[in-house]
Amino acid sequence: MSLPIILLVLFALLLVALLAWALRPPARPVKQALDVFEALSRPRHCSRISHVMQALQPEDTEYLRETEQVAVMRTLRQQRRRIALNYLDQLREEFEELLEISRMLAVMSPQVTGMQELERWKLSMTFAANCAFLRWKLRLRLQTFSGFVLLSNMAADIARQLEMATARIAEAAVRGSEPPTPGNEILGGL
Amino acid sequence: MVEPLQLQAAAWALTTTLELALFVQLVRRTLARIYPLFFTYIVAVIFQSIAVAVLYRNIHLDKVTVWKVAWATQGLAVLMRSLALVELNRSVLSRYVGIWALASRFFLSVAGAVIAYALALSKGEWQWLILNGIRGLELAMAAVIVTMLIFARYYRVPINQLQRALAVGLCLYSSFYVINYSLLERIVQQYAVLWNFLGIFAFIASLLVWISAVNWYAESEEVALPPAISQELHGKLSAEVNSRLYLLNRQLIQLLHLKDRSQ
Repeated sequence: MSLPIILLVLFALLLVALLAWALRPPARPVKQALDVFEALSRPRHCSRISHVMQALQPEDTEYLRETEQVAVMRTLRQQRRRIALNYLDQLREEFEELLEISRMLAVMSPQVTGMQELERWKLSMTFAANCAFLRWKLRLRLQTFSGFVLLSNMAADIARQLEMATARIAEAAVRGSEPPTPGNEILGGL
Repeated sequence: MVEPLQLQAAAWALTTTLELALFVQLVRRTLARIYPLFFTYIVAVIFQSIAVAVLYRNIHLDKVTVWKVAWATQGLAVLMRSLALVELNRSVLSRYVGIWALASRFFLSVAGAVIAYALALSKGEWQWLILNGIRGLELAMAAVIVTMLIFARYYRVPINQLQRALAVGLCLYSSFYVINYSLLERIVQQYAVLWNFLGIFAFIASLLVWISAVNWYAESEEVALPPAISQELHGKLSAEVNSRLYLLNRQLIQLLHLKDRSQ
């Protein structure tokens, strides 16, 4: 059997596997439409980045070494690292929530751009990789500030994109005189 | 011991019975109106079963004619299945205008690429072109169904049990057809009867999935979609959207003024 035929058979088998995967129920429950706006209006964790960064600065606890309180310094740094890890989890959750919202907005929007969707997908992949990298760096007690800023910027970027998408939907909603399209019906004829 | 040909004949009889049962159920549950192309596909498949049975019983016809007519009916069935698939994809995604526009381009690209690859295997030999074309079309159908399901999963588009069953049945049959045909073509010619039987078995499995879904189909499934939101919620959403619009507009004006000042 030639290689192209083997590839064909493997592709068919892959499709069966993907079919089984695609039919699995989603891990997270589907959000209601109101949650989108509620989630968008919530304060962002990325706005607290400066505090976390400050807490991670070695200079912030260096005075304890000078006053010969090394044990206290170590405990403090450990606690702050734990807080940073917790912050990272919150940031990831927020990012996932924003992605979820962006998907919901895509469902409600009468126009979805493939490039934007692809960009968002790439962004989510990069974010996941950076998040894992940063977590390990924190655990190994390596320098992390640049990573935090990068992740924070990514989350802010997604939030900005979402605001624009919300504005577009709202704009379409305000144009009430236009004949309703099936996409507008999703919002109950907004 | 049961002869393979007897087994195959029994499988054919069972297939035709199940096809007729599905036909009756689709009419009885008025689903023929909701999925007219799928219904037409089932009619085409019943027609194919009858045509092939008549052809094989007619001993006066030469083998080439029988082969050509049999493949013509197969071509018709595949064409109708493709149309049923388009109908299914439309029924799942078309109400979400933006998603549908993006997904339909995706489907065309995926289907085009798969068919082109399958046709390229013919290497310009016309006698293989039709067979490879049908194989390519089957694989493209399976690929499009999976793409549609991934889209639906990613965007959390709801799919009712019947749509799910239609997708599973169509995809499994198409995938099995490609695997069956690809292996049969190259290495297991001597087991042709067995492989033919397995092909029928795959279709029987699809038919059972469809019959079960049609039996369990409830009209309320069609209503239970997220777009259906209450009047109160609608009012809240309207107010929220409008306030965000004004807010964003104000921010935009502020940004514009900021830019003016900086210039």
